[in-house]
Amino acid sequence: MTTQDFFIKWGVYALALLPVWFCECFLLNRLPLLPVTPMLLPLAAVSVAVLEGAVAGAGFGLGVGMLCDAVYFGTNGAMTIGICVAGMVAGALAQYLLRQNLLGCLLCSLLALAAIDAVRILARLLRGSGEPGAMLSLAGREILVSLLFVFPVYALFLWVYRRVPKKTVL
Amino acid sequence: MKDFFRRNGLLILIAAILLALVTAVVSALLGGVADPFSNLANVLTTPVRGAINAVVNWTEERYSDAFEQEQLKQENEELKKRLAELEEKEREYEAALQENERLRNVIDLRPKERSFDELESAMVTARSASNWASTLTLSKGSAQGVEADDCVVDGYWNLVGIVAEVGENWCTVRTLIDSDTELGGQISRTGGAAILEGDFALMGEGKLKLTFLPENSQLMSGDLVTTSGRGGVYPSGLVAGHVEEVRTDASGISQYAVIVPETDLDNLKQVFIIKDFTIVE
Repeated sequence: MTTQDFFIKWGVYALALLPVWFCECFLLNRLPLLPVTPMLLPLAAVSVAVLEGAVAGAGFGLGVGMLCDAVYFGTNGAMTIGICVAGMVAGALAQYLLRQNLLGCLLCSLLALAAIDAVRILARLLRGSGEPGAMLSLAGREILVSLLFVFPVYALFLWVYRRVPKKTVL
Repeated sequence: MKDFFRRNGLLILIAAILLALVTAVVSALLGGVADPFSNLANVLTTPVRGAINAVVNWTEERYSDAFEQEQLKQENEELKKRLAELEEKEREYEAALQENERLRNVIDLRPKERSFDELESAMVTARSASNWASTLTLSKGSAQGVEADDCVVDGYWNLVGIVAEVGENWCTVRTLIDSDTELGGQISRTGGAAILEGDFALMGEGKLKLTFLPENSQLMSGDLVTTSGRGGVYPSGLVAGHVEEVRTDASGISQYAVIVPETDLDNLKQVFIIKDFTIVE
């Protein structure tokens, strides 16, 4: 794959990320279910990681994490590391343990979302703010609602994956 | 293992750690000012936020016109009655005010004054994308002189929240129900001071709590709670909410009151940022 192909490929992935970002940050937060807003950006990173593998997953996760830090309030850089690790682990799991399909993406998404919320809960417990019961309830509802969106997000990135060059050489 | 990481993006992970550290340090150093990447992302999405906001507001207005006319008529009748009551009270208030001024002159006391020297009107353009915080994004920022810790009120002088992060043409307001909110409160009826505090469990219900209640405070449901203004950071007299009930905390030792905000956080469209204020007590 040429350098030009490389940039086109990741440019297309970045373009596909735009509707996901706008949906999460500007539309779905006005129409909460259960009543929570789903986390779509981490799902996008996991979907690409499952399709493209660990290295690409870590790279895309790094970009998505930076975007999350820019748009989520008060994360202070934590999402950059968190989603990069989530992308790397999801990619490795899909490559070596699970399958690179919807089911693999669903399992990896569940793990990634649970890990992100576990870190949030731990951080709040360390700061002494928030009751564990209330936080677990929120995390449970957030993960449940977010998992419903794995299907459209995965479908979007699968559609992109089938149209871009396959082999990524860094 | 070493090879596994080398093959699976170790360098990217190191880059992520470094970037996260830089973001954390820059955020800490800038205080309430948004870091450059957040600022860029929010400035670039300003037109999108504005457009979505305009569409949502237009749809809500059309819906309201079509389906809520009966409710609006009923509300109008109730408001007319309430207006008549308030006009009666205003006459009493005017008389009391004149008496107060005369008495202050007698004892040569400086008149009480509360003025908001600089107000900035702003539109609510986005709501919190995270379920773990309660924030609003407004359409004004540092270019209009907005600073971190400025108070934000609605059109009826009810407290909405405090500016937490400021960008070029936007700012993020931490609403009064956010679990990290903490400011001085005062019970209007008794004058007792307490602390208005966000609570994670209550945040989901759109409420907050009033802690460190004064001893023997006989709070009643409906008691109005305002900002105390102690410390001089926030102005006094902004209405935060009313008492819903008094509960005993998990330790069983102290009590707190559940406060329902007066402002309708879910339906706010326009707010006012208090950039400067003068209080003479």
